[in-house]
Amino acid sequence: MNREIARDIILSIVIILSQLLIFNHMNLFGTVNPFIYVSLFILYKTSYDKTSLILFGFLVGLIIDLSMQTYGVHTLASITVCYLKERIEKYSFGVNSILPLAMISGTKLTNRVTYFLIIIFLHSLIYFSLIFFKLEFTLTIFLYTLINSIVNFIIIWIISKLIFNK
Amino acid sequence: MQSIINSIVKNRNLIIYLFLLFISFNYLYNNSAIHYSGIGKIGTFISGSTSSIYSNINSYFNLKEENSKLIEENLELKKIESQLIGISNKSNISESKIDKTINARVILNSINKSKNIIVINKGKFNGITREMGVISSKGVVGIIKNITDNYSSIVSLLNTDLRINAILKNSSTIGSISWNGLDPRIVQLNDIPLSSSIKVGDTIVTGGMSFYFPKGIPIGKIEDYNNTSLEGYYSIDVSIFNDFSSLSNLYILERTDNDEIKFLLNE
Repeated sequence: MNREIARDIILSIVIILSQLLIFNHMNLFGTVNPFIYVSLFILYKTSYDKTSLILFGFLVGLIIDLSMQTYGVHTLASITVCYLKERIEKYSFGVNSILPLAMISGTKLTNRVTYFLIIIFLHSLIYFSLIFFKLEFTLTIFLYTLINSIVNFIIIWIISKLIFNK
Repeated sequence: MQSIINSIVKNRNLIIYLFLLFISFNYLYNNSAIHYSGIGKIGTFISGSTSSIYSNINSYFNLKEENSKLIEENLELKKIESQLIGISNKSNISESKIDKTINARVILNSINKSKNIIVINKGKFNGITREMGVISSKGVVGIIKNITDNYSSIVSLLNTDLRINAILKNSSTIGSISWNGLDPRIVQLNDIPLSSSIKVGDTIVTGGMSFYFPKGIPIGKIEDYNNTSLEGYYSIDVSIFNDFSSLSNLYILERTDNDEIKFLLNE
């Protein structure tokens, strides 16, 4: 159990560092900035405490905000996603689903895709809504959210495969 | 106490989430100019709309007070107006100044009879006597007929018995206003000779040659006229300024020199 926790902590640090050092400086197609740290919330094990997930989300979001000068936008998106994670899980996998490990293996592909997409889309939507923060940019917000969600989904999907195929 | 603690523990995730949300928003608000102005705008909108709701509710409760204030103000203005009329026309005996105006509220009104009567909530105790002129903010209403201690009845302009001295505002041709009992929006101006020139839209005001009204109180404007009468007078329809179906506040004109003039006439 302890080994597992240690492994998860190291994994989190690696993902956060790669976000800070690599992905923050990437700018795909001029608009897309991959947020791979969202994978931490997606892959956060359900056996861990939900309250600590919210605090964890706050911490990660704050680190990203401080590094990207976004003044709390990532934090807000992160804690919201973390708070709603349980409901999204239930919605994606069904009410009675028991998810012992991070649910990469043993669940239906469509369920997994739905789960990933909802979290990534929600995160991007909150992020861009707060970044633009004006009603007249509604269309732009949706466009950015859509493009960003698709790219993020692909990247995070690949990362999750890499982690859990080991 | 235990149940409060239990509910806090049960909802700890929501509480922590809201707390962190607040911190994040605070962080955003304090550091980002866009969000500062955006959140500020939302704040202004919320405070503005809530305070306008509050003031709407509050003003509703204060309506009665406001109303009486306005009536008081109107009375003052009427007084000044009558004084000014008195100053500008000193030649006519009836244009003496009005010493006091009393305001009253309509409690009974009719427009569908041939002899319409209005009842108001002021009477002898308020200083009202018979044959005082009654006007509204738009013009002539009628003349006080009967009084009790607290109420008075007014012979409305829409009463076939009433005749009021009137003139054409432009030419000062003298005539008299009466009602034929048909249309409550139209009264008739009589005794205007065919020799005087009139046109549709001319304003009719009180002539001042009576004990009831000073000169210059508006009555109505010419709606239509007929000059085919053989008697040498126009028959003129006047549409009245007052809407008699919606009268509420009236002013009663009190004139102290009526007795003096009556005394002179009786001599």
